[in-house]
Amino acid sequence: MAIKILSVDDSRTIRLIVGKAFKPYEVAVIEAANGEEGLATAAREKPDLIILDVTMPVMDGVTMLTKLKEDEALKAIPVIMLTAESGRENVLQIAKLGVRDYLVKPFKEDQLLEKAGRCITLVKRPVLQPA
Amino acid sequence: MSQTVQIPNVCEFMTRHLLDVFDTMLSIKATLQPAASLPHMSDRVTGCVGFAGESVTGAVYVHFPTPLANHVAGSMLGLPPAELGETEVNDVVGEASNMLTGGLKSWLCDSGAECAMSTPAIIRGSSFAIEPVPDVQREWLIFDCGIDKVIVEIHIKLD
Repeated sequence: MAIKILSVDDSRTIRLIVGKAFKPYEVAVIEAANGEEGLATAAREKPDLIILDVTMPVMDGVTMLTKLKEDEALKAIPVIMLTAESGRENVLQIAKLGVRDYLVKPFKEDQLLEKAGRCITLVKRPVLQPA
Repeated sequence: MSQTVQIPNVCEFMTRHLLDVFDTMLSIKATLQPAASLPHMSDRVTGCVGFAGESVTGAVYVHFPTPLANHVAGSMLGLPPAELGETEVNDVVGEASNMLTGGLKSWLCDSGAECAMSTPAIIRGSSFAIEPVPDVQREWLIFDCGIDKVIVEIHIKLD
């Protein structure tokens, strides 16, 4: 079964960048546009990793993460937080919530893959050879 | 508040941060232009993010000429021009503005000027001007991005 990564971000741009980064790997990237959708999708899909934005409408990433950690069925899913804010207080607050790692925007694909690779095993898709 | 939170330092930080954001996320090597004369701003897509705290308030407006905004959105999302609508372009400009202001917000907080920031908003048009309210200082930063110029307008009030 393919590894599932849930990308939760209100920006389609970021969701596309995340999807693009994992395209060469045996990974199915599923998406949600806010924390509320993210929680529902996580409960339904049981992803192997969640990449979670901090600032979102409807439900922000910190609230979603808090609810995730209160849920026995979901609390073990590793979470990498994406944040546009690199301030000390912000990073400390995120760390206290029990995230596996965090990434400050702007970020490069390599950084995302490296951090994701510490949480899940990334296997390259086989390259199709021309007949 | 820390002594480092002064207008010239804010501009210096924003310049460094913009070069990093544009290079990393938009693959654009921007260069700061002398602020001698403000270029005419015609049809454009402007991203706006506000920030507010006890000792600092303001907003950052990032003005992209529409053709440049379309070009950047297309290359960032890997979409051909035909598949690129206003929604996609707005999202890219909003996200770039969010990253720029997020960096500034972090720098302000680490310098002792705690503040929170808003989610991005987009303004589209060709004949609008943004006027700061009284006591708010306005700074312009002009960046040459090869194809065209991006203008960053910072409104800031330090107490």
